[in-house]
Amino acid sequence: MIEVLVIVAPACAVLTGAATWVARTPRQADQLNSAGAVLTAALTLILAGIAVADAAHPHHGTWWVLDAAGGVFLAVVAVVGLFSALVAPSHLATSGRGLVRAARGRAMYYVAYHMFWAALIAVPLMDNLGLAWLLVEATTGASALLVAYSGTRGALEAGWKYLVLTTFGLAVAMLGIIVLYVAIAPGDGTLATLDWQSIARAAPGLQGGPAVVAFVLIVAGLATKVGWAPVHNWLPDAHSEAPPPVSALLSAALLPTVVLVTWRVVVALGPALTAGTASALLLAFGLVSLAVAVPFLWRSMAWKRLLAYSSLEHMGILAVGIGFATPLATAGVVVHVAGHALAKSLGFYAAGPLLRHAPHAHERPVRGLAFANPPTAGAVGISLGALSAMPPSPLFVSELLILLGGIAAGEIAVTVVAATLLALGFLGLAHALVDGLVGEPRVKRWRSPRSGRRLRRLTVVCGTLMLALTVVACLLPGSSMISHLMEGVA
Amino acid sequence: MSALFVISVTAVALAIVMARRRTIAVALVGVQSVALGIYALVNGFGESSAFLIGGVLLVGKGVLLPLGLAWVVRRTREPRLIAGELPALTRATIAAAIMLATVELIPSLGLDSRAADQGAVALLVLGVVIAVLRRSAVFQAIGFLVAENGVYLAALAAPGGLPAVVEIGVLFDLIIVVAVAAAFTTRIHDEFGTGDTTVLGNLHD
Repeated sequence: MIEVLVIVAPACAVLTGAATWVARTPRQADQLNSAGAVLTAALTLILAGIAVADAAHPHHGTWWVLDAAGGVFLAVVAVVGLFSALVAPSHLATSGRGLVRAARGRAMYYVAYHMFWAALIAVPLMDNLGLAWLLVEATTGASALLVAYSGTRGALEAGWKYLVLTTFGLAVAMLGIIVLYVAIAPGDGTLATLDWQSIARAAPGLQGGPAVVAFVLIVAGLATKVGWAPVHNWLPDAHSEAPPPVSALLSAALLPTVVLVTWRVVVALGPALTAGTASALLLAFGLVSLAVAVPFLWRSMAWKRLLAYSSLEHMGILAVGIGFATPLATAGVVVHVAGHALAKSLGFYAAGPLLRHAPHAHERPVRGLAFANPPTAGAVGISLGALSAMPPSPLFVSELLILLGGIAAGEIAVTVVAATLLALGFLGLAHALVDGLVGEPRVKRWRSPRSGRRLRRLTVVCGTLMLALTVVACLLPGSSMISHLMEGVA
Repeated sequence: MSALFVISVTAVALAIVMARRRTIAVALVGVQSVALGIYALVNGFGESSAFLIGGVLLVGKGVLLPLGLAWVVRRTREPRLIAGELPALTRATIAAAIMLATVELIPSLGLDSRAADQGAVALLVLGVVIAVLRRSAVFQAIGFLVAENGVYLAALAAPGGLPAVVEIGVLFDLIIVVAVAAAFTTRIHDEFGTGDTTVLGNLHD
């Protein structure tokens, strides 16, 4: 039963994409997209529910695994994927000239979107490093096309940069996987050699040299796809140039999904390394990402670009949390993935109507939104408030848990630096929040009852889910789920 | 894997760094992929599955992808060579210096010979160097193929080889990436009138 679901959930997204391609009218394509997205999300959420409800007993197949960590990431991918699919028709209805001719533009968007989503759903389910790599690489083609969907010069630049950097990064990761494969089973390896459990079993017996080389190559390669500094150059451009629903999926689902693969590598391969090696690399990526992101959060920036640098900051926090590797930090990481996804996707959905009515917001910061359009201001306010980790945002609790986890790990210096950078990031985003909502208005008032209603509904749903997550975040430390996560993420 | 074979495929990558014309570079990467494909076939002879996979990879990487890139070159004619690139000898010197420094620094990867360890890393590094030093979008796509040939060389030198699913999966992903790169290249050429990627420099903070 579970194996059927594991196959059907991503297959449903693929079939939805194929169905939209043969749709006869744009309206029919929109309807197929929405119906298929609801079904895909429902199936994925069932899988996530099974994984989280039975965290003590991960389900395994020959090539798949359904465990608690995978369940959390599956839920995030399902929710963000669903919301992005549902807001896509209104974006496509108002987008002009595109990468491909108008007649096929909508179909191309839906096909690429659902292929991308299908790969994202499949990654957390893979019980094998090689297969997970193939799926992460498979996201590149479809997502690069989506980034460049608008066909503008900026979008072409962003899409090309994303394609080039992440492809080279993943080639480096693949070389690391080959080194690991040879180290584990010289001469008699099979696909199962790269299963998470096989890697974990073999790790203590691996010789230091090849294991370290493999680990560094794999993590450094995956870091280009996560967008960790200093290999993050594609991230701000791709997030700011992609259509808003795609930006949401990139930031809230793709980046964390690749973080999960990295996390599984760290847990499985960690015992092969000298104590502290894996943590040191993760902490270095995390602190550098925070240090690079914070100055940009202080600058007056266009809305989507600000969100992009916020993604860099939050991926940095996740790296720091995984690097600390204590129960408190692990609880923080789990909450942070979900909270960031909700807050960030809401921010990108608000960008849709904002850019339609105030196109200059693509280039310059927005000010005085509360006077211009209350529903958009509400979405922007809740998104930015949550991303800045303002209480009662779940990100406030998750960042606190990660920092406490750092103290528990004895990493006092790293914790102090991280806390300082987070405080500076908070001040930068808080300034952007105040200026964006009640600063001197730069945009004219606009009324758009339909998109306003839709955005208000999304704001209520995301806000409610975030509040619920804050409650969960307070109960999570010390729970059995965290104990199971500490035993291994696969 | 013999040192002579490794040196030969690495020399082809260096020739791509120096090549002035895109058509020559496409032909060279095709030759490199065919050489690796033939090596796979020769070494997989006697094992039907390895022979079959070697054949698929030879056709995919040695024939289909270079043909696709050749089509892109035809479709995006440049009236003249892209100006402002470093001279060929300077490019080759920089590439060789970076490559030699990296292969000397890299510890053992556990492949079937030290030459294979160094060859895999050299091709990966040269692929990145091609993408950095060459300004044409087609050259940057060729950089992907050279880097991926480095990974393929490592797979060929892995005792027992890689699982078939991974090898075919990598080829499938590579075909998708190169197809998307081809779409981008033609669109960039249509939009800017050139495939020179330095025109893509407007997004910054």
